[in-house]
Amino acid sequence: MKKYFPIIGSIIVVTVASYFVVTTKGKEKAKTKTVKIAPENIGKFSRQRSCARPPRFLRKSNIPQPVLIDLSQQRFKGLAMHYGKNYEKSLHPDLWGKYEHFSTYTVDEYGNLYLVPMPFISINENTFDLQKNIYKLNSETGDLEIFMHLEDVRASSNNPYGLNSIAYDCDDKTLWVSAVDESDYKNQKGVIYHIDPVNKSILDTIEGFDVLSMAIIKSEKGKYLLLGSARDNGLYSYKMNSNILDQKPKKLFSLPSANQHIRKIKIKGNNQLELQAIPFTYSLISQTEKKHRVFYNAIWIDTLRKWKLNSA
Amino acid sequence: MTKEIRISIAILILGAISLGIYWFIPVGGSQAIATEKNIKERIFLAQYEAEVYQNIPEVKSYLKDLNIIIQSGKSILPLSNSELDKNGIKVQHLLLTDTGFIEDGKQGDKLLHNDMMRILPSIVSTLDSSTAQICKTTTCYTAEKYNFVTNATTRATVDVDNNKVLKVQRFPNMQPDISLRLKRMAQAIALNAPEVKKELGKTPAKKDMSMANVRSALKESPCEQSAHLCVAPTFADHEKEQVLWAIIDLTELKLSAAKWAGLGKTTTPACISERTLQNKFIMENYCRQDSYLDRNGWKMTYRLTGSDGLEIRDVSFNGEPVLTSAKTVDWHVSYQQKGADQLDTSGETYIAGRRVEYIVGEDNKYQFGYNDAMGCPMFSTSVVLPFNGPLIKPLKGQSGFALTQDFRNPKWPMACNYRYENRFEFYDDGSFRILAINKGRGCGINAIYRPIMRIDMAVSDEQVFSSYDNQWSVWEKENSSTAMPKNIQYPFKVTEKNTNKGYYIEPNHGQFSDQSRGDHATIYATKFNPEEGDQDLLTLGSCCDLKDDGVYRYLENKENINGENIVLWYVPRVKNDATEGSEYCWADTVLGDDGNLEVKEWPCSVGPKFVPIGLEGQ
Repeated sequence: MKKYFPIIGSIIVVTVASYFVVTTKGKEKAKTKTVKIAPENIGKFSRQRSCARPPRFLRKSNIPQPVLIDLSQQRFKGLAMHYGKNYEKSLHPDLWGKYEHFSTYTVDEYGNLYLVPMPFISINENTFDLQKNIYKLNSETGDLEIFMHLEDVRASSNNPYGLNSIAYDCDDKTLWVSAVDESDYKNQKGVIYHIDPVNKSILDTIEGFDVLSMAIIKSEKGKYLLLGSARDNGLYSYKMNSNILDQKPKKLFSLPSANQHIRKIKIKGNNQLELQAIPFTYSLISQTEKKHRVFYNAIWIDTLRKWKLNSA
Repeated sequence: MTKEIRISIAILILGAISLGIYWFIPVGGSQAIATEKNIKERIFLAQYEAEVYQNIPEVKSYLKDLNIIIQSGKSILPLSNSELDKNGIKVQHLLLTDTGFIEDGKQGDKLLHNDMMRILPSIVSTLDSSTAQICKTTTCYTAEKYNFVTNATTRATVDVDNNKVLKVQRFPNMQPDISLRLKRMAQAIALNAPEVKKELGKTPAKKDMSMANVRSALKESPCEQSAHLCVAPTFADHEKEQVLWAIIDLTELKLSAAKWAGLGKTTTPACISERTLQNKFIMENYCRQDSYLDRNGWKMTYRLTGSDGLEIRDVSFNGEPVLTSAKTVDWHVSYQQKGADQLDTSGETYIAGRRVEYIVGEDNKYQFGYNDAMGCPMFSTSVVLPFNGPLIKPLKGQSGFALTQDFRNPKWPMACNYRYENRFEFYDDGSFRILAINKGRGCGINAIYRPIMRIDMAVSDEQVFSSYDNQWSVWEKENSSTAMPKNIQYPFKVTEKNTNKGYYIEPNHGQFSDQSRGDHATIYATKFNPEEGDQDLLTLGSCCDLKDDGVYRYLENKENINGENIVLWYVPRVKNDATEGSEYCWADTVLGDDGNLEVKEWPCSVGPKFVPIGLEGQ
């Protein structure tokens, strides 16, 4: 019997050690409830040559390039263009102020500008209706008109925003447009519309994400729709497979402050984005405070597989 | 070695390897996901002002030292020697007399409160190339001070060996790491905050608190409302896996706001800031749900609206219905100027980002201005935002209470920024007063403010509105009046159709002991229509057409109101005044004797009182 003592002893040692290891790990697990999620990786990217061309009416009117497009609403209502030395000369026909204020724009290969609206300080009787439209500045004539009217977009006093961001896809010549009108304090019900501008038809809708800004980017891993969230301080991406979006947007990173929401996304260079952020709360005050606009450079460090954020 | 011993060794080795693998492999596989316990955030806002904290020894001694420094003609409160090494003491001595370092310590002949925050050996990342070159061969120290008035940090690099200031840099709107003294004071305020004690259910001890994240809190959690210097000490409750974040305002020396949250990643200081907390607190407690009040015989529901300010609904006194709804739906802000002939109205004009409207009048004068809506901070059309939630306060010198809500532009009292108060006073005798209060500062002088009050009485389903001019006359149709002579205390009344039960309306001529200069109001009586303001009203009418308060549109059909459900619209007209000594509807920021900014305000209060019929003789 004695000869088995070493075996029995070793079994007891392993059993006791196992007990301590299992209970200690259990305690550690209880203490550490959060495990970091690996950041989504879109891989390396570079600045692509845009298909956008300047509006043709500018040449016909002998207005020299470059032209600055002004949607700031500080001096002019709606759309204005500035040109000449130090951009001192301004172009602002009455018609360009007819549809109140604009949030952002995109340009196609023919020089047509597509614009989306924005409510601004004083609400007039038709302000909410104007949030349903995509507007087009005709490249040939310079006329500003309602291009598409999306009837199911319903801005209201409980959320004055309707259509709010837009991007043009040079590959298939389609528009991506977002709306946040259905969202409320608890529910994120934003809609992304994929639009064929030739037939003025909606090709697809993706629901459930509040977009504040968007940009199309091509990386080594494919084509993505980048989204600045209206809801939080994150930059998200949808993988575009034959222009059909993934099921859910994936978060790339968050800005340092919870109050900063990405309002503009610009592909600045190789692996570098320039982001403009504002404190957005679905009310009218957000657009008025210039000092609250913060700029960041977001740089993808491929060797470390992570994003680096710098104040721009 | 026997066979049994070899087996024993094998068991031990295999056991050790198995336990090692078990220890290092994460549970749940390699794609671990966040398992943070879902703890609901709970926010509370400060209920007490700075006076509560002024007797805390750390605060008292700090204020005393600050007072001594300012009185001695200096602007920088230095670090105590206990916070400095030998070189640090030398550097501080040098910098306190260096003109470049201290030059932002004065505004005119007034001293501005500055604190030296830290003096440490220089680190390479804070040096430019030329300074770095010098500091390779000499001992360099970096000092930082913070200007509490301008919200700016000054950083100096000093060559200690040669007793020379190498570089001074200023960083506007930036805040440094705080001194040990300020850290201790922030801890003391957090430990003594009545709100923190209440939330924790006990008087907390210093050991319960963590300030390890001071740097992050400083960099990413400024008190945004006023660009104050703030830090966020925390109290962790490991059992419940939650933590209490307390934002301490070191400019005003008080608790600013706080929240309970989980211990996980989402509770980094970046996620708490005063504005975020206020927005969430106000949305969840006053915008998304009604609140109820039952006091001194008064019962009512109240809530914050999207753009119509604080609304009270279903108000009763001793069980008798009084009001269905009352609120101030808009402030029309209009400025009068001369030079209408010089006016260029060919394009839009903007002031501080607001599009202004022009109305040309007589005598070469014109009006310009805009409409301000007050309401919920999120998902609304308001441009003047609520600060804290509605408060219930006792009345001074009278029996009763007030329900009040403060609305401000974030940069008030700077020019073109506004502060309004919606206030309802309820008296123990059954009378009540609806007030709109303007605290400036606006874009300039010659401003005319018009708050638009909507008052839906609940005296009866069949109401009668009458005006008095030697005798009572019943209004048959929708109409308006400005006839409110001072010698008639009650020029209007609302009564039940077949009885004289109801309320007299007493316009404000300045008789309510609140420094008011009177309402100069127009009263409108219209038939109730749910689309005319029972829900949130958007901006109503022109800001600047003084002939139209915006309510006329509801009078166009001249509907019969005798025996109908009547809605009253009361629109006072107030002129501001910035003349020294007679300021009215005005605010200003001045430098106080302690080197810190003080806001002076001269509010103008307007609004009628409603007195139950039968009480008028009392």
